[in-house]
Amino acid sequence: MNPALAFLRSDSGKRLGACLGLGVALALMTGATGRQDDYLYAIKEDLFTFHLIENLLIGVVVWLLFTFWPVIRRYLTRPGALGLLAGAMTVIVAQTVLGWYEPEDAKFSGLATLVGDTNGISALSSAFFGWLAWAQLIAVIVVGAAALVLRNRALFWVGAAMAVAAAIIASQAHKKVDELAGVVDHATGVTVAVWGYLTIAVALAIAAISTDDVARTREFVNAVLGWRPGFALGAAATALALYSLGVSSWFAPKSLNATLADVHSLFKGTSLAPIAVQYFIWLSWALVIVAGALVLVAAYFRSIILGIVGAAAAAVGLVITMISIHAITSLAANSENTYATKGPWQNLGDGAWWTCASFLALAAAGLVVAQSALKGRSATAADAAHDPSAGPRFLYAPGATLAVLGAAAAAAIFIPPTLEPSWQTALVTSIGIYMFLAIGLNVVVGWAGLLDLGFIAFYAIGAYTTAYLVGSLPVKPPFELPVLWAIPFAIAVCLIAGVILGFPTLRLRGDYLAIVTLGFGEIVRLVAVNSNGITNGPRGTEDQVPHPVINLGFVKFTFGLDQLPYWYLLLAVMVIVIIFFRRLENSRTGRAWAAIREDEVAAQAAGINPVKYKLLAFAIGASTSGIAGVLFATNVGFFNPDNFKFEFSILVLAYVVFGGMGSLPGAIAGAAVLTWLPEFLRDQVPSEDRQMYIGAVLVIMMIFRPAGLIPAKRRATELRGHGPDSAESQAVPAGGGLGGSYA
Amino acid sequence: MNDFIRYTIAGLTLGSMYALIALGYTLVYGVLQLINFAHSEVFMTGAFGSYIVVDTLVGGHGRQNGFMVVVVLGVGLITGALSGAGAAWLLERVAYRPLRRRGAPKLAFLISAIGASFFMSQLAGKLFNRQKNNSFPNFFDNRVLFSIGEADVRLLQVIIIVAAVVLMFFLDRLVQKTKLGRSIRAVAEDAPTAALMGINIDKTISRTFVIGGALGGAAGFLFALFSSLSYQMGFFPGTKAFAAAVLGGIGNPRGAMLGGLTLGLVENWSVMFLPSQWTNVIAFAVLVLVLMFRPSGILGERLGRAA
Repeated sequence: MNPALAFLRSDSGKRLGACLGLGVALALMTGATGRQDDYLYAIKEDLFTFHLIENLLIGVVVWLLFTFWPVIRRYLTRPGALGLLAGAMTVIVAQTVLGWYEPEDAKFSGLATLVGDTNGISALSSAFFGWLAWAQLIAVIVVGAAALVLRNRALFWVGAAMAVAAAIIASQAHKKVDELAGVVDHATGVTVAVWGYLTIAVALAIAAISTDDVARTREFVNAVLGWRPGFALGAAATALALYSLGVSSWFAPKSLNATLADVHSLFKGTSLAPIAVQYFIWLSWALVIVAGALVLVAAYFRSIILGIVGAAAAAVGLVITMISIHAITSLAANSENTYATKGPWQNLGDGAWWTCASFLALAAAGLVVAQSALKGRSATAADAAHDPSAGPRFLYAPGATLAVLGAAAAAAIFIPPTLEPSWQTALVTSIGIYMFLAIGLNVVVGWAGLLDLGFIAFYAIGAYTTAYLVGSLPVKPPFELPVLWAIPFAIAVCLIAGVILGFPTLRLRGDYLAIVTLGFGEIVRLVAVNSNGITNGPRGTEDQVPHPVINLGFVKFTFGLDQLPYWYLLLAVMVIVIIFFRRLENSRTGRAWAAIREDEVAAQAAGINPVKYKLLAFAIGASTSGIAGVLFATNVGFFNPDNFKFEFSILVLAYVVFGGMGSLPGAIAGAAVLTWLPEFLRDQVPSEDRQMYIGAVLVIMMIFRPAGLIPAKRRATELRGHGPDSAESQAVPAGGGLGGSYA
Repeated sequence: MNDFIRYTIAGLTLGSMYALIALGYTLVYGVLQLINFAHSEVFMTGAFGSYIVVDTLVGGHGRQNGFMVVVVLGVGLITGALSGAGAAWLLERVAYRPLRRRGAPKLAFLISAIGASFFMSQLAGKLFNRQKNNSFPNFFDNRVLFSIGEADVRLLQVIIIVAAVVLMFFLDRLVQKTKLGRSIRAVAEDAPTAALMGINIDKTISRTFVIGGALGGAAGFLFALFSSLSYQMGFFPGTKAFAAAVLGGIGNPRGAMLGGLTLGLVENWSVMFLPSQWTNVIAFAVLVLVLMFRPSGILGERLGRAA
């Protein structure tokens, strides 16, 4: 046979065809947007220009990756390889996507043009923005890759040193530009680039020391975390606190960026509370050093008492820090001078919040020390060695889970205030709400195995129930309620709706259920659109749904347009729900769900009533969605049926699947990543195209990694399939005809 | 009475299109026991594919003479069917076959299909445009062919019904009489045994997708003729056609035809009692009711025993 033809018919040739097809698909996906007057416009633009060649080249690269995967894999698993890759990607992202210069809202290339047009710029800066930035990145990658391939220790050290130098050059070059312009710059680009280089440096340094043939990232991380439980977190928190106290900005109204020491001189002679005055002179340092030292010593000696004392000291530090920053901001809010803030807690610099986060993390570290010491002084990482039967667990060192939770809590509470308002809005309205929805849908799809395509309907029901109860719809309730009181009613209504929908349909096969829920979701939306008298139709709510007010007698807090309080409200509700679900997962109910999901007949034989448990899952998912609906309604104030389209049900499903069906951390992470990414890429990808990529992600995930980002332990085994022999796991036997062709 | 006749004719027109789309669902369900969620996008692809070709061919010249009407119809049906078939073939290759080879669980197939459906619809939105008011050039000028009582029967309605009936007749013959039809029925009946009898299952499944896709694509052309075309046009007809397939007994081609006509009629008759914006709700309500009381549909479920 003709050798070309033979190649095309071989597996490799078919794969090349598929990869070229991928290139065409990519060309269409990333290409021009269509026009109504010429339907062929976009296709012509995409397929008959250079654009197609670029994307076909990507296809060829993918094909090469696939073809040489065994070889590439060998190098990728070497120590340091993943760190080099991740760091390089970070730097690339920083230099293409992120902002580098806030006053002009410029990215790297924009700032480079600006620098090129400016006279009197330092040689370093002009070189960096001219050519050095990319040149040094390429140099670092080349040296690092050469070291990986040759396994040369000296070369690793050279690469690490080059990465550190690159980080210093980048930060200095950027600093010089800011100094010359004399502006305050909050742009993140340079910081991220520096972190990317530092990642590379650390990875290469570890690779230089390591004697392993393959990277053991998991073992390494667990060894660090498990060496003295709580030590790693405590050390990191102390370091961050010291950095914040020494260098970072604490008070940043308008064009000011005052460090801790600056704040002291700024407020000298004002009526600042004495404790805050002392705080800005020495108390802050003392608190950090005392709490940090206590926790670290406690961790080293595995002392329960010292750990608790350290945690308490950190808690005291947190309270005093918050009192002090509240004191300066509220004082400044009432002042008339140029440094007036917008109100208490406003205009604080990153350092203030990072210090708070560090104190919280330190307190968590103290608790980690106490907890793991309680569990047994003899417990070390080696003792708690990874038990292979425990499934794919990443963190198994003693206290690691608690430490991660503590760090996550510190980040979730104290990082959002440092974000820009647009990011805070995104955090609440898209990331937070969808995380919540994903947690709810995870119960239905992940645990009970019921494909619910109308999940957003319950969200709509929750939102409309709220609007009804507070009197924002044309139909008025008998008595109007404060908005947060709508939560129990929304839960009840959604529960009932879930049961009404579920009771007749849950006896059906899975795919019928999917289509019925889809139909239900559309019915709810169409009813909302069509019943003008009740829901005010497509125009949406008649009056604004009021912002919530929390009145506990002694404290009264009114929510407003500021998005941050909603984040804390959302976080509080979410934490309650997560704890509840966590308990549920391994309870009798959770096990019943797993049994039904895996084999309904066997579960029934074991005495489980499938309809009852399916209904329960359905109702629980529905009410979670209802709570999210309440929070959504009170946050946005006005909404209409377009907020509850079928697409959103699919999006939530995509988040759950992407994160890992049946895994609670997976659902949260999936929603966080897939809602964060489009916000992050807002300028790169048109917002209407997001859903296209989401669809592609769903298909690709199902083909290559059906268990998701963070696979659920129980679920992972199931989704991996049972090989071609087991009949019940497949729709049709996989073999082609007389079989064997893909065996 | 005139209203009744008018709505009946409209219902038959709509129903015959539902039937064409429903056949795609039912054939795939027969061989794979899976709902092909992305079939509505195959339908949409057929509409866009035929539009592009027909538009390039005759342009927006409006009313055509008799000869051109025949040409447009023929070209439209063929290109619609071809693009639908191509889309369905690709869909099977990309979103179904890799999962089948890995022996993935059913939920994974459903999710993959949903992802593909989402992707195709949004890609069409990007490539063509995201307006909702794109319409085919009006070839037939709403010409009235004849009247029953005072109810007018339009040329377009007759064309759609006739085209659909012809296509369905050929499909029925294909499934009943040809070798391919026999292998489709065999795979639907018992895939492992069919494989032992020398039937290439992969090929049969692929061809089933292609046949269903061709019918769906042709339906897309017909639908776009009397309605409009947009990247989301597949959603409602697709879901309703699925309802029709279930109504007639999913997996059973004759059931899909019957179910499609029934649903089209019910939907149009409902306009006599309820405002027209509730028609979509009624279609979904019918689906839920059928699933509750007779999940196996009017004619029962087996493709293999359809004869």
